[in-house]
Amino acid sequence: MGRRKFRSALTILGVIIGISTMVSLMTVGYGMRQQVEITLNEMLGAGIMISSSGGGVDIPEYVQDFVSQVPGVNDSVAVITTMMNIGGQPRAVIGIDPTQATKLYHLTFEAGGIPTIGGENAAILGGATAAELGVRVNDTITLSTQLGGVGETFRVAGILRSIGEGQLNIGCFISLRAAQRLLGKEGYVSTIMVRLDNPTQGEQVEAILKNMFPNARIVRQEEIMRNIDRIMNIINGVLLALASISLGVGALGIMNTVMMSVHERRREIGMLKAVGAERWHILLIFLSEALLISLTGGVFGCILGLLGVYLIQWFVTALGLGFTIPLLVSPYILGTALLAALAIGTIAGFYPSWTAANVRPVEALRYE
Amino acid sequence: MSNPVELHNVVKTYDLGENVRVEALRGVSLTIKRGEFVSVMGPSGCGKTTLLNMIGGLDNPTDGRVIIDGVDVTSMGEGELAKLRREKIGFVFQFFNLVPLLTALENVELPMIFTGKLSEAEIEGRAAELLQLVGLGQRMHHRPTQMSGGEQQRVAIARALANEPSIILADEPTGNIDRETGWKIIRLMKGLNETMEQTFIIVTHDPSIAQTSEKIFYMVDGQINPRPPKQITAPHPNNLTKERRQLLLAELRWLRTSLTSLEEKKGEMDREVYDQFKVRYTEQLERLKRIVQEVNKGGD
Repeated sequence: MGRRKFRSALTILGVIIGISTMVSLMTVGYGMRQQVEITLNEMLGAGIMISSSGGGVDIPEYVQDFVSQVPGVNDSVAVITTMMNIGGQPRAVIGIDPTQATKLYHLTFEAGGIPTIGGENAAILGGATAAELGVRVNDTITLSTQLGGVGETFRVAGILRSIGEGQLNIGCFISLRAAQRLLGKEGYVSTIMVRLDNPTQGEQVEAILKNMFPNARIVRQEEIMRNIDRIMNIINGVLLALASISLGVGALGIMNTVMMSVHERRREIGMLKAVGAERWHILLIFLSEALLISLTGGVFGCILGLLGVYLIQWFVTALGLGFTIPLLVSPYILGTALLAALAIGTIAGFYPSWTAANVRPVEALRYE
Repeated sequence: MSNPVELHNVVKTYDLGENVRVEALRGVSLTIKRGEFVSVMGPSGCGKTTLLNMIGGLDNPTDGRVIIDGVDVTSMGEGELAKLRREKIGFVFQFFNLVPLLTALENVELPMIFTGKLSEAEIEGRAAELLQLVGLGQRMHHRPTQMSGGEQQRVAIARALANEPSIILADEPTGNIDRETGWKIIRLMKGLNETMEQTFIIVTHDPSIAQTSEKIFYMVDGQINPRPPKQITAPHPNNLTKERRQLLLAELRWLRTSLTSLEEKKGEMDREVYDQFKVRYTEQLERLKRIVQEVNKGGD
């Protein structure tokens, strides 16, 4: 008896490993996708982005006025996206007219707020950056270009919330003018964000813009999203393939355990048939053994898988990769995992159960 | 009313692969009447188990006809046979064959669950009743591992009775328990046989147990005799082969132990039955002794 319990426990462990791998990988994949989508939505509040084909800051600011005239364009904002040194590290900096910022981004403040337009140098810091730099509202920070130089000091006017939806991995926002001044590019911007009247007109507007500015790089958000989606699907596919390998091993474990159990209980099965059990009775008995193993493994696998996500999260943070994977408990993933457990239980359990169902009743009277 | 068991010239052969064929039953015919308590005796390998398989609907015969409760079951399919076993047959096995994970009560419930005719409450009630009947009212919630061999066999008997079968088949029911407990089991079965309508068919090695039954079938080499196998008319002792001598000695030993156990059970047995067997055994013993003496005298 003890041996049998031990064997079942080992098999359940096999399923737990499979299911937990599946749950953690899928949760990580799902979290990454959500994260990427949210970030992109925040970053690309625009329907279309017009940027310099060379990636530099060389689009004349007045182009924005032309763009605004294009039919189908609701509004446009000229911005500079660049990297600058803040506290000794390069960070993403967006130069944007503060009043325009809210048109593009959903800004949620942890502290402070949007600075009023004025002569002073003010900045809005991303939550993560503020935490790393250890600064608070009204502290000052120094921004300098990557080429070096003295840089300028900025008063921290607001700090964005860093956790949860709307998290931006942006170092800081400063005014467009300040960004131009720091880079020495007065009158030029890197990107013009275009907001559309109607998202369905994207393609049309894109075509017009391409004609107007043949040298610029014009990207529709939809396309970016589609590309990202494709990449995310590949990543998810790979993760799922990894998970299914461990699930397959779990399935073999179940098959083996139930097969041995059938072998050991031939006489018992014969007896059940002798007292009147039919094939399907026996089939159900052994199938339910397989399902019990796989579902137990499934439930514990789900729990362990979510713990595994914490571990991965902690690991990623410890490595300092500069991004975090949100732990999103998705009922869809847990449901899929339990369904997978159910499926491997049924599939792996069927053959041994069928063998059991076909044990002949005369086995009851065979004594060896 | 039809007889519970009728076999007409039943043959069962097993193919053991290439050209190896074993004839387990070679034309067995027998009739067992309702309410009879009969024993089947014989050396191992004589076909007793195969006979039980036939009567119990565990297997189909190769030839001949098997009629259970007036229904020809000779060529029934798997499903029909399962139904037959559920409704007409109760099995008691040498090794009890209880499900170790289930309590006594649950083990007795099994056949009724498979039948699916009674409600859960009815099943439990009947199982409890049956356990009371076999004297295990206090042990209902114990598992087989917590019970003695005798108690386990009582559970098995209760299980066999669950669906009110017309026939109870017991394969060496006392083969795996001590003699005294074995006798209690036999007395329990005799008692049940008398109070209920069931027909009992018991396979046993123990002559004294066989003696308690109304009828004994002796099986030898896949065939059946209503009487103990006639001793092969002894050839002239001088012509006895070594094997023959050994057989005679084995028979002598068998008769002696039978006689001893007969004496042991004298008090519990019907006087008439006792006398009958005593005479029969003594006769055979004397005959054998004579042969052996002659062999020894004639020597070499």
